[in-house]
Amino acid sequence: MFKLKISLFSKTKSLEAKIDSFHDKIIDSATIFRKAVNTFFSSDDFDDLKKVSKQIKKVEHQADDLRREIENQLYAQNLLPNLQADILKLVESLDEINNHFDKVVYKFYIERPEIPENLKRNIIKLCNQVADSGEYMGIASRAFFKDLSAVRDYTHKVYLMEQESDETYNTIKKAIFKSDLPLANKLQLDSFINRITEIADIAEDCADELLIFTLKRDI
Amino acid sequence: MLSFLVFLSSGLFLGWSLGANDGANLFGTAVGTKMVKFRTAAIISSIFVTLGAVIAGSGTTETINKLGHINAIAGAFMVVFAAALTIYWMTKARISVSTSQAIVGAIIGWNIYSARPTDYSLLTTIAGTWIFCPILSAIFAIILYFFTKIVLKWCKISLIRQDCYIRIGLILAGAFAAYALGANNIANVMGVFTGSNMLNALPLPFGLSLSPTQVLFLIGGIAISVGIFTYSKATMNAVGRDIMQMSPTAAWIVVVAQSLVLFVFASPNLHNFLISHNLPAIPLVPVSSSQAVIGAVMGIGLLKGGNGINWKLIGRIIIGWVATPAIATLVCYISLFVLANVFNLTVYN
Repeated sequence: MFKLKISLFSKTKSLEAKIDSFHDKIIDSATIFRKAVNTFFSSDDFDDLKKVSKQIKKVEHQADDLRREIENQLYAQNLLPNLQADILKLVESLDEINNHFDKVVYKFYIERPEIPENLKRNIIKLCNQVADSGEYMGIASRAFFKDLSAVRDYTHKVYLMEQESDETYNTIKKAIFKSDLPLANKLQLDSFINRITEIADIAEDCADELLIFTLKRDI
Repeated sequence: MLSFLVFLSSGLFLGWSLGANDGANLFGTAVGTKMVKFRTAAIISSIFVTLGAVIAGSGTTETINKLGHINAIAGAFMVVFAAALTIYWMTKARISVSTSQAIVGAIIGWNIYSARPTDYSLLTTIAGTWIFCPILSAIFAIILYFFTKIVLKWCKISLIRQDCYIRIGLILAGAFAAYALGANNIANVMGVFTGSNMLNALPLPFGLSLSPTQVLFLIGGIAISVGIFTYSKATMNAVGRDIMQMSPTAAWIVVVAQSLVLFVFASPNLHNFLISHNLPAIPLVPVSSSQAVIGAVMGIGLLKGGNGINWKLIGRIIIGWVATPAIATLVCYISLFVLANVFNLTVYN
């Protein structure tokens, strides 16, 4: 019995630590994403952006490793048997947010789009809004594991940020296609803002799932 | 002695069947929700069922013996055999059946055949506990549900840690439930044999010993354990999925509520404590662990707004309360007649 207790507690501690680190990575990604956007708009030296892009890629890889370890441990040690599928889905969705942060930063670095002065402010605003939605989603998910009553507070913030990002997206889109930019530039910028907004959309879907999982967690 | 062991076979069979069926109530929800492995569940159940039977099985046995003191081994054999036959038929008819109800019916059959009076006030008390058992279990489950919810909200235990505590909780609750089942239900399996017991006391190390009745209960406990090991796996996997989908925490509540009910109706200490404090004593009566589980599950179901309650199952339980003892009485009466007149065996003295 004592041995069983020790083994159960050590398994529990190790999984708890991995889930915590995984959530840290989501929050790190959102922070580095903001940093990347600031670097892009404030510095002409693309080496700086390259550094930030590498930084977010590293975080993304670490999150991938953690995700695999969490999934393996959950199934191999049969932990949380009734919630395994839900947690798997949640972790996969959060990882998707992380991947998108990385992809957008890489897109900034590789494509180096020319952004007209009048759009800059709104694009920075959009980036901050999607970064907030991803970060709040990470915090909401952490609350699912640690403090169920706080989940709703953070998912609500995710929804709010997603709505705001939608409004900003529409404003930018209208401005892009109203402008005198060549069509190729318009399409490039359109693809850019689509990619950025996707982050908030994924966070919103993830929040929907999380609220259902929260209901299922009730005894 | 040999004839005693041969006649004891019906008790062993009933013990095996009790283990096969009721073993699932101890760890069924835990094994069904994959929180505890079957092997762990079976080992813990077997140890604690036997301990409960040997240490605390006397209370309910006394009640069973008060209802009918069966003094011939062939009679005891047939009473238990009639109960086992009734259980088999009722199970086939998919009516919720309890070993306690079958054995009480069979004892009344013996009383009628041997022209002994039946203590109707005791019978009323016993029947009352059958109805009260699932209700009490539901009440315990509702209280535990509220208590657990408050604790979880207040303590903010992380999900992973909660899983760990629930696993340990399910094992402890299962062990307690097994102990309570052994203490409460051994009277069904071996109670009627105590009047014609031919076994000797068993000396144990450290100056301890088991009385002949305790040796009889030990054999009964082993029979229950064999039932758990050989036949309860499928039932354990099915329990918890049959009545309503259950979370591991709810599973723990159900097991604790069930064990509390079995314990309350089996503990001579609690019984004496209540009497000494001028409080109404709880009768020591073997009750159905399955019906306690159903009561607890439905208690939680009611609390959640009546979802998941199987009203058909309740109907089958109510039919079982009347039909099981009635059929067992009839089967026992006819069987005793055959045994006495065809095989010329003494079924009462």
